[in-house]
Amino acid sequence: MGAAGIVLRDVHKAYFKDRLEIPVLAGLNLEIAPGEFAALMGPSGSGKSTLLHLIGGLDTPTRGSVRVGDSQLESMSESALTAWRSRHVGFIFQMYHLVPVLTAAQNVELPLLLFRMASSERKRRVQTALSIVGLGDRTDHRPNQLSGGQEQRVAIARAIVTDPDVLLADEPTGDLDARTSEEILNLLNALNTEFGKTIVMVTHDPRAAGHAGRTLHLDKGVLDREEVNTRRAATASAS
Amino acid sequence: MALPIRYHWRNLLVRRTTSALTILVVTAVVGTLTWILGFFLALQSSLSVAGDAHKLLIIQRGTTSETNSAISPEEFNRLAQLAGVARDPESGEPLISPELYWQTQLPRLRDGGATRANVALRGVTLRAFEVHRNIRLLGERFSVGEPQVIVGRAAAAQFAGLAVGDVIRIGVGESREFRVVGHFDAGGGPMESEIWMYLPAMQSAYLRNGYSSVSVRLEDPASAPAAIEQVRSAPIELSAEREADYWRNQTSNVRFYQAVCFVLVAIMSLAAAFALANTMYASVAGRAREIAMLRTIGYRPHHILLGFVMESVLLSLIGGLLGCVACAAYLELVGSTKDMFGSSTFTTMAFDIRLTPLLVGWSLASVAVIGVIGALPPAWRAARTHVLTALREP
Ligand SMILES: Nc1ncnc2c1ncn2[C@@H]1O[C@H](COP(=O)(O)OP(=O)(O)O)[C@@H](O)[C@H]1O
Ligand SMILES: [Mg+2]
Repeated sequence: MGAAGIVLRDVHKAYFKDRLEIPVLAGLNLEIAPGEFAALMGPSGSGKSTLLHLIGGLDTPTRGSVRVGDSQLESMSESALTAWRSRHVGFIFQMYHLVPVLTAAQNVELPLLLFRMASSERKRRVQTALSIVGLGDRTDHRPNQLSGGQEQRVAIARAIVTDPDVLLADEPTGDLDARTSEEILNLLNALNTEFGKTIVMVTHDPRAAGHAGRTLHLDKGVLDREEVNTRRAATASAS
Repeated sequence: MALPIRYHWRNLLVRRTTSALTILVVTAVVGTLTWILGFFLALQSSLSVAGDAHKLLIIQRGTTSETNSAISPEEFNRLAQLAGVARDPESGEPLISPELYWQTQLPRLRDGGATRANVALRGVTLRAFEVHRNIRLLGERFSVGEPQVIVGRAAAAQFAGLAVGDVIRIGVGESREFRVVGHFDAGGGPMESEIWMYLPAMQSAYLRNGYSSVSVRLEDPASAPAAIEQVRSAPIELSAEREADYWRNQTSNVRFYQAVCFVLVAIMSLAAAFALANTMYASVAGRAREIAMLRTIGYRPHHILLGFVMESVLLSLIGGLLGCVACAAYLELVGSTKDMFGSSTFTTMAFDIRLTPLLVGWSLASVAVIGVIGALPPAWRAARTHVLTALREP
């Protein structure tokens, strides 16, 4: 599958708490090109996760349009969004969200079980995904037998095993030390440059954002500024 | 069903203690349920064996069982007029069997002879073996004129001192000694719980000259209503019933037991369903983030629902299998022969509870249903997990 672009137009998102409207996104516009690696920064509670969830079809906007690839997400039913997610997006969470009772390989296999697929083909894909993230030899370990960095690698393998167009990462290095973070960021970088995945990564850490091609700043419900990372090309080729 | 069994299996293993306790509850329920089902199946088959459509049982009018019925020789002679009775193909004699029924007490095998229970004695002529076609001799028959008895299989399994060659004391003041010369099989029917001897020998032992009942073999089962009516009216004026009806009335108290047992089973099943529901609720609550992750990567609510139902059914089936094993072990250790008393006869009626594949199948099917019922409310909650809220949970 080729990479997909992301286009958000005049997106509003508000939550209701005790009948009180809490606006989170207010007329946000965003365009991310196919194959781009974008970082999303902003103060805590500014709506970064909310934005990521809208792009990933986990949530729908109160108003406005969200297009990912050829799909117009705001007009899709919840069931259609579920099916769309399973094919087109890979999610990477801060807390990995691995199933503790399954091995690394079995965790990675989970998204594939939703498709009709020969088990040999499944095994092959799982092995490929695990070797891409550098865990080809840890396939039979349970999450509690892995380090945080290794757990996140398994989670990334799970996100890419269906070969999605878009990877959405919500503070993927938020729970890791600096060195491990660096490894994970390099891995995302490789997925972007070598496999052409469109990546949106939420982060607090400016150094992490430095791995992306562009950093978007979210504040008061809109993207108020952005910067293009000129040093990124060097980082990418050095890794 | 997208989630693999091993996922459910391991989730049960992880919650070892809870799973084990839940399984224990289910095991107890299924063990009891299987035994009760087996009991009623065995009873039913024993009674159905007694339901020979060709046979009528005739007793004194106004009585309900052989125990308190008395038929005089004159009354018996009047039965010769009865129409529709089958005849012996050689001698042409009507197949009418006068019988004397009495109860005595014998030590039970179950507690090593510490207690005694009623056992039925039946005095019969050789005609009885033509009327009661399901009697099969295992060994010798009593010799006419000798103080000998033959013993039904179930009676031999219930009471002490009924092996071939043993001597039992019966008659008024237990003054007469009779030797056991053989056993017999009645196809699992109630007569298998009786001791039979030659009618005149028994009459003399109990100083009686009449009978308790008369069994008649009809030529055609369809003539039963007419025959029953003829027996009831003048000049015979006795009471006749089909054999099946007679035994059903004798065990009418069974229906009460049955109702009590089924209420008990229902309550226990409900308890098992609650135990499963409780376990599954805890499991759902502890796995909210995992469910949210699965929903995020494309699992649908029905996958989640089925998954938790699956887990509960897995638990209940393990409990079910263990319950069947427990029931089998109980039958092996305590004995599979169950006795019970007829409502009006108070005679021991014994039958074998068998753990047949059908019975095991029924138990497992029931417990699977219990598993589904117990799982549905928590599984429903799991399926409706709010993904974004759960993902935000720390
Ligand atoms: N389900 C919800 N109900 C009510 N308020 C919510 C909900 N989800 C998020 N919010 C609010 O929306 C705002 C943005 O949240 P979030 O997108 O998680 O911010 P960030 O990821 O930038 O920290 C916060 O004020 C948060 O409390
Ligand atoms: Mg966030």
